[in-house]
Amino acid sequence: MDFDISVKLAIYHAIADTGKAPTIAQVAAKLGRPTVAIREAFQRLFAKRLLALEPETFEIRMAPPFSAVPTPFAVSAAGKSYFANCVWDAYGIAAALHQDVDVSTSCGCCGEPMTLAVRAGTPVPTPGIAHFAVPASHWWDDIVYT
Amino acid sequence: MLLFRSEEHVERWCKTHNLPRRPLVSLEQLWQLAVIWYANRLTEESRRPGPDEMGEIFDKLGLRGTFWQVRR
Repeated sequence: MDFDISVKLAIYHAIADTGKAPTIAQVAAKLGRPTVAIREAFQRLFAKRLLALEPETFEIRMAPPFSAVPTPFAVSAAGKSYFANCVWDAYGIAAALHQDVDVSTSCGCCGEPMTLAVRAGTPVPTPGIAHFAVPASHWWDDIVYT
Repeated sequence: MLLFRSEEHVERWCKTHNLPRRPLVSLEQLWQLAVIWYANRLTEESRRPGPDEMGEIFDKLGLRGTFWQVRR
């Protein structure tokens, strides 16, 4: 298997299993490779827009749809807890895990708590609407703010 | 992107933050986007859709106009 694919799968399976993004050192230990090789793989995966990295450390900030840091989109699935990067990614976690999920979030305007749920591959009908602040052509100018 | 209780709340948020109101996306459209984008993310084959594919996906879901045009 291509090395970068092995790294990608190690990252995503670790997050799916634990809810936490693995560090460079953890992926290196898992795959039995030097940390420098893993850091370079992280950077190639960033170039392919499969990861967003912390600028100083090159550790994972986002492995979409998962966030490595707490966000206003808390997702629970099969007794595990995750954070999504945005409302699209909150549904994305359900799609990626192929599991029922519950999302706890709030209205971007008034802060009123809102919940979303997915059951058996279908979103439970809920009042609400999504608003993208940034046009599609600029999403990766600053992927943390879209 | 954020979730809002209603279109009225989007309007209010845009005015408060002095930001332009963008096209709205229904939760059904958002779910379809999530499935297309992420359903195979934990597999060997997964990759982000390319610009042309993204354009086709948006068009299929009725997300049309300059806001949804992707840089090639």
